[in-house]
Amino acid sequence: MEALRTLKRRHISSWAYILLAIFVAAMTFLPFYWAISLSVRNPAEAFTVTGLAVPFVQYKPTLANWKTELATGETQKALVNSTIVAMCAALMTIVIATPAAYAIARFRFRRPSNGNIALWFLSQRVLPPVATAIPFFLIMRFLGLLDTHIALILLNTTFNLPIVVVIMRQAFIEVPIELEEAALVDGANHLDIFLMISVRLAAPSLAAAVLIVIAFTWNEFLFALMIGTIKAKVIPVHMAGAVDTRGVQFWFVAVRTLIAMTPPVIIALLAQRYIVRGLTFGAVKG
Amino acid sequence: MHKDNRIKLLFLLPAVLWVLCFTIFPLIYSVRLSFFNVKIGSPDEFIGLRNYVHLFQDQRARSSALITLIFVCCGVAIQMTLGMALALLFNRPLRLRGILRTVMTMPLFATPIAVGFLFFTIFYEEGGLINGLLHLNVPWLSNPYWALASITIVDIWQWTPFCFLIFLAVLQGIPAHYYEAATLETNKGWSVFRFITLPILQPTIILVLLLRITEAFKVFDIPFTLTTGGPGTATQVLTMYAYRVGMRFFNYGYSSAISVFLFILVMVVIMTLFKKIRQTYQ
Repeated sequence: MEALRTLKRRHISSWAYILLAIFVAAMTFLPFYWAISLSVRNPAEAFTVTGLAVPFVQYKPTLANWKTELATGETQKALVNSTIVAMCAALMTIVIATPAAYAIARFRFRRPSNGNIALWFLSQRVLPPVATAIPFFLIMRFLGLLDTHIALILLNTTFNLPIVVVIMRQAFIEVPIELEEAALVDGANHLDIFLMISVRLAAPSLAAAVLIVIAFTWNEFLFALMIGTIKAKVIPVHMAGAVDTRGVQFWFVAVRTLIAMTPPVIIALLAQRYIVRGLTFGAVKG
Repeated sequence: MHKDNRIKLLFLLPAVLWVLCFTIFPLIYSVRLSFFNVKIGSPDEFIGLRNYVHLFQDQRARSSALITLIFVCCGVAIQMTLGMALALLFNRPLRLRGILRTVMTMPLFATPIAVGFLFFTIFYEEGGLINGLLHLNVPWLSNPYWALASITIVDIWQWTPFCFLIFLAVLQGIPAHYYEAATLETNKGWSVFRFITLPILQPTIILVLLLRITEAFKVFDIPFTLTTGGPGTATQVLTMYAYRVGMRFFNYGYSSAISVFLFILVMVVIMTLFKKIRQTYQ
């Protein structure tokens, strides 16, 4: 009797958990659903269809908004700019940050100590970007780099460098050192060992770091707004400008929202296994 | 550890130089600017602490600082509590957990500026998602208090999953025999949580708190798109105020003073949490 009762209670509570899980997932997904639903609606139906706006039931979905938006030259250019900046920034960050991470993981520094060097890099993240915004703007103006891809690449490399140093340091620490030592005995030099052995062994973390840098660069808005206004206009700046000039057209807003969000959201899903580790800078293993 | 070798400096220096050039130098430049009256076309004029004196008398700066603090405190407190509660609830064998985790990953990297615009359509007062779905008539964006609540809600939506995923990862790493041993001693869920789970989670709680606070102070995109700082200046956080003073009114000196003030504010908050987090990385 007693056993039956506990069994029953456990059964009910497991249903409650499932319902709660569905509810939490639904709340998280709802804005994405709303964006998709808005983006395939006829402009006339953007405000008249209310509530959950179930497609096929409450309105007939159409891809017209998507076609119009993707055929716009400005949007295409912004997509190309965002892609170039994100790729180059990721490459640049990796090239500069990975050797530094390797040095902190594999060699002993005395003053300052390894931990303090890592912490120094990490502390750059505390600095609110706006604190360096005006100087950056003035420096770029002085160098004649305003509204260029180079300025945006420099900038995003700067923001992401500390993250990659800290993530990769943790990754190198976890890679066994024995192979490197064996190669040293065989007379290989440190640069070869780094490139041929360590980087390859830490490749999964490196891939995750690349993805995270691409996503962060893709999303960066404040500096892009100040520096890249016409020629180097990236997706977030394009979005912000378009709403000013076209008025609030929800169906286009939704399409642009999805265009902007899809690459980083896909990246988050791809890097899911590494995301907890990446976002806590290696402190928590996901 | 490898044997000492000069090459370690060759590996390390590019990154250090980069940070010195592109972070430390602009920061110092910013501090310098904050002591000057900068006008385009004429040489900078040293005015000592006058920008800072102005800052402390400026009603707008004071209200921006207050708005930022309310946003950070409420937002981070709610995210952490919700994230922790959900992580504890779902730290059990559950078929849906994989799906839940995947869905919760989605908001993490969602472009903040796009999130802002998206929630503009969701909070829209006539025909928007929330008011339409729940048959409400809440002035989400036109009332100053609701507008502040709205940007906080967006932050909570985006970052609760972050807290949840991290806490869940740590909870799952706790070996089962810890609990088995504990349940021999007591069967009260609360004391197991208090004496087993909480001490193990403590460093993580501080870490997440630290990460969330630093990021929350940087908020710019969401109020910029969702409320454009309004109505009036009801959601004009410090970063936005600094941006407007600098890039709209070209008062670079005063803008830098606001930014430096924000930086000091963040540092004070972080320093109080700093000592405990240090152990995690050393």
